[in-house]
Amino acid sequence: MPENLPQQGNGPAFRRWRARRPFWGGLLLALGGTEILLTEKVSLKVAMHIGMQGVTGYLLPVVMMLCGLLILFSPGQRLFYSIVGILCTLGSWVTSNLGGFFIGLLLGIVGSCMTFGWLPDQEPRSERKRRKREAKTATKSELQQQA
Amino acid sequence: MASPSDANPSNGNTPEQPESGSAPATAEGPERRGQVRLRRAAIMAVPATLAAAALAVLTAQGALGVSFEISGMPFTVTAKSLDGQGFEQFGDLDNMIKNSPNEGDTGGQVLVMTSAIKTATLDSLCQSVDLGGINLLIKAGSGSTKVTATDLTTDSTQLSGDATFGNIEIGNDASKLTKAGVQGKPGVFSQQSDTVHIDNLRQTNYATTAGVFKLPGLKLSFSDSGC
Repeated sequence: MPENLPQQGNGPAFRRWRARRPFWGGLLLALGGTEILLTEKVSLKVAMHIGMQGVTGYLLPVVMMLCGLLILFSPGQRLFYSIVGILCTLGSWVTSNLGGFFIGLLLGIVGSCMTFGWLPDQEPRSERKRRKREAKTATKSELQQQA
Repeated sequence: MASPSDANPSNGNTPEQPESGSAPATAEGPERRGQVRLRRAAIMAVPATLAAAALAVLTAQGALGVSFEISGMPFTVTAKSLDGQGFEQFGDLDNMIKNSPNEGDTGGQVLVMTSAIKTATLDSLCQSVDLGGINLLIKAGSGSTKVTATDLTTDSTQLSGDATFGNIEIGNDASKLTKAGVQGKPGVFSQQSDTVHIDNLRQTNYATTAGVFKLPGLKLSFSDSGC
């Protein structure tokens, strides 16, 4: 497994930290929330004045950002965070400039899905592919024997 | 590498083993790390993509209102007559983009009267916008086929004409309107009616949206005089 050897200069401690959490998923979700926040131009004062509808424009991307950060720093709860994150992401389409003009929406969806699909402590992908192929050929030969 | 992984069958939907992510006890060695399992991610990705697509389609059809930022250039709309079914009117606030050259001393916001009409027919529609000395003129519906629009909303600062309303209710809360399917902010004055007929309509608008806007006999031109 040469790719899994700690690379020089990458900081093995950071690498190990990253390996234990859905790093890219959480990061993308947090970035998506930030991007949407940056596209907002209505001043907070006006938003407060308009009331709930004005404030949700800020609320949803902030919740997205928080979910992304929480995924990074408390990955045990990642399923819950990813579900809340995706709902807020989809909601931001309506409340916040079409989800930050698609970009934040896309980042949020990809990030949430990656987080949802993440599992800790996996064997490397190449290993898994090899085992699957072996299993397939095994069943095939079994069937041939039966036939 | 194979012996520890036997404890963890590799089909995508295995419920995760009890671990708390941040637990530092990864005793198996440095080569086992967290990973995105594609089939598991697809469980969320497929419905999420469908939902996003549905939102986009609903928006394109005009069923879902999306706020957009106005240019701040007022335009004039006139028509010989307007006939509408399902009419609502309420006050609202439109926003320009930040530092818009048109904001003047308004702070980028315009107080408007939003009129929403479920289905509208307009005779001899004319729309003009002053681009600094020259007018961009749009005319349509002067012939036998009239201009029709569904889910038409206009944000205007001035409206004049000879109007007739059928079954009008005045003084509703703008968030509780029902006749045209559009709602305003809670606590804002509004009025609605089943039918509306306006002769010699003249509006100064900042924004118009419509689900479908059919303009038969469309003519677009530059002109010295507006509508």
